Amino acid sequence: MTIRDSLHRRLLTWILVPMLAVGSLVLWQAWTDARRTADTAFDRLLEAASLAISEQVQWQDGQLWLDLPPAALEMLATQNDERVFYAVVDVQGHQVTGNASLPGDPRPDQQGGDTLWYRDIQLQGMSLRQGVRRSRLEDWRFRDVFEVRVAHTREGRDALSWALFRQSLAYLLALAVLTLAALIIAIRFALAPLTRLRRQIRARDPRTLQPLELPLPRELAELRDTLNELLARMRRVKANQERFIGDASHQLRTPLSGLSARAELALRQNNPELWREALETMQATSTRASRLAIQLLSLTRLDNPEYQPELVRTDLNVIAREAVREHWQRCQRQAVDLGLEASDHAVWVMGLDWQLAEALANLIDNACRYGARQVTVKVTTEPPCLAVEDDGPGIPAEHRLLSLRPFHRGQQDDDGSGLGLAIVDGIARTHGARLSLAATIPSSQRGLIVSLTFPEPPPCNTAENP
Amino acid sequence: MTRHSLWAFMFRRSVLRGSAISGSVLWGLLLWSLWQSAYATEELNLPATAEPSTPLVIHAAFDVPYARPLLEDFHRRHPQYDITYRNLSTLELHERFLNVPDEPDVMMSSAMPWQYRLVNDGHAQPITTPNAENWPAWAKWRQELFAFTYEPIVMVINREVMDRFGPVNSHADLLGLISQHGDALRGRIVTYDPATSGAGYTYAIEESQLSPRYWDLVAALGNADTHLVGTTGEMLDGLHDRRFLIGYNLLGSYVRQSVEHDPSLRWVIPDDYALVIQRLAFVPRLAPHPAAGRRFVDYLLSVEGQRVLSDGGNVAAIHPQLDGPGTATAMQRRYAEGLRPTPLGPGLLATLDDLKRRALLSRWQREFSGEMVGEQERP
Repeated sequence: MTIRDSLHRRLLTWILVPMLAVGSLVLWQAWTDARRTADTAFDRLLEAASLAISEQVQWQDGQLWLDLPPAALEMLATQNDERVFYAVVDVQGHQVTGNASLPGDPRPDQQGGDTLWYRDIQLQGMSLRQGVRRSRLEDWRFRDVFEVRVAHTREGRDALSWALFRQSLAYLLALAVLTLAALIIAIRFALAPLTRLRRQIRARDPRTLQPLELPLPRELAELRDTLNELLARMRRVKANQERFIGDASHQLRTPLSGLSARAELALRQNNPELWREALETMQATSTRASRLAIQLLSLTRLDNPEYQPELVRTDLNVIAREAVREHWQRCQRQAVDLGLEASDHAVWVMGLDWQLAEALANLIDNACRYGARQVTVKVTTEPPCLAVEDDGPGIPAEHRLLSLRPFHRGQQDDDGSGLGLAIVDGIARTHGARLSLAATIPSSQRGLIVSLTFPEPPPCNTAENP
Repeated sequence: MTRHSLWAFMFRRSVLRGSAISGSVLWGLLLWSLWQSAYATEELNLPATAEPSTPLVIHAAFDVPYARPLLEDFHRRHPQYDITYRNLSTLELHERFLNVPDEPDVMMSSAMPWQYRLVNDGHAQPITTPNAENWPAWAKWRQELFAFTYEPIVMVINREVMDRFGPVNSHADLLGLISQHGDALRGRIVTYDPATSGAGYTYAIEESQLSPRYWDLVAALGNADTHLVGTTGEMLDGLHDRRFLIGYNLLGSYVRQSVEHDPSLRWVIPDDYALVIQRLAFVPRLAPHPAAGRRFVDYLLSVEGQRVLSDGGNVAAIHPQLDGPGTATAMQRRYAEGLRPTPLGPGLLATLDDLKRRALLSRWQREFSGEMVGEQERP
């Protein structure tokens, strides 16, 4: 519901806002047009009235003379009872007659016939439209220039322009209503495939991960394909999980059935010496089984995407030193030389000490198990890196990626769980670190370096930082 | 107020004081003021008899005896108004308004062009009360200026003339009478002198626009040595004492009263055309108590106010619901086409044009004195 509605709203908003802007522009245009039309129509009256007056102007008794025709003024009154003003001014700017002093034509004098000039003026707080006619006497002796200035109020013009504007407004409103209706229908049609897609997804069996099959327009087809890719990934993940569970149960069943068989065998004897031997074997087997169970648990936990432990500032040197101290004795017993190459300074990363210790333990254990004689734990800086290097047979390059999968074991493995590198991989992911496997001596493909390269920690001003 | 001051009723004025009025407006008022100097400003106060009181200042060129019934009726209906009524001459009224435009709440005058000019210049405010909205369109302008009376211009003729020469019911009859019997009537006709009377000038300019034969009539009047005077009062005086047999262009509202007492006289509304003047009222834009002013104008245009005007003031009312003798409705029914009320429009501005007045008067003098020469052009 929210998706459909908000898409509707977005589309409507983004179409309506520009339409409103365009609409107001058109309205403004209509208003100025209406005013211009009204002015053009009514300016004819100013023209006619000024002509009627100027025709009456003549030279008499040594001055300009005018028998003012009342019709000229009546004409300007229109049916709107406009206020009317007039003035006749001679060439010196002296007002010959009139009922108001009106401003003149600002343009320079021109040869030829009458010139007309219209403009809006303010007179004693009234808005007027003025027409100025500059004319010449039609007397053979005198060719004096004079100006007839007439003006009237704007009521008629305003009424006409408002009427014209109302017409445009009605057209525009009708157009807007039609457009809006068309728009709503168009958007509904355009968004219909989205509704189809939604319905199809909702109607699916929640357990199935089969791809969606329905024809859609290009933009939605992309979405459908992306969804299908996601579904395919989920199918692979699910297959992996199922295989993991199968492997895990298989792995756990082997020691358990071994235990069961050994117990059964021992119970047939009556010699307590044999019982003791059997119990010791059973103890070793159950220890291995419980370690396997612990590793499975920690792997499951690490694989859980919801698991987001809080990382703290940790010194890689300390971790490495602790791990060497812990595992040194056991390695010594197996005649493995465990060494440490720590950095001169503390190497700070954001991490969980127990997880990193676990990773090191797995790596050292792996190295011992796969026949290394010399194992070195290394800490380097820039970028912070924790690595375990051995001189064992190594892993062929084509098997390195595979070895990260749970329950994958090398050839010489006898009692390993095959979970060690998978766990290290999980820990690396938790820390955002990059796990890389490489041969110690690249030319002979012997030995193995497993290194965890951490991201630089954020700068810290605590006292721990030397 | 005696009846010889009829013109004072219409256009009262006193000596010109101050000089705030523009030149083109001044001339007519100056002329009118010449013979009216005897009348001082009259004031009438009707104090409020109800609380809270609101002042109402009315400036008018409308004599107190005629205005009093109107004011008293208004005051009885609205006792909360503290009414100050100042009766001024039209010149004083105009001049005082231009000097102090925020003093009166109502302006009333029969000097139509001057009232119109003030309103055209934006000195009035619109009134939108129901009575004002429903007022006939021909009797108002822009909802700002309202005509509230309807007064035809008439001829008064001695019955003796009628008996001898037949009835005179129109301008055409009068022209025929004067042309045919000019000698018998020589010196016995009286009318306004447009050169000295503002009202006479106003009638002349309107008649010259109404009828092309007006100039024939002026020429005929000139041939008969018509006597020229300044007021309706003077004309009536001369008609009553038989110095004159025919009076042309008298203000009907006064003639009716006056002629009723003299059986030898008859008054005639010409049936070809008759001028009709109207008193105009407006509320100034800067009125100190605009609501009171609007209330009074609304009353002036109401049935009640119009009835009081018609009955008490003896002035013809306009209100379409009033239908008695002497009302506009009755007159319009009787003289359907003939009545020519001065249109409330910018044509009135032309009347005030100084050059126009000089042009008209020079033509009038020419026609009246019988000079038939062409243009009096000087290089």
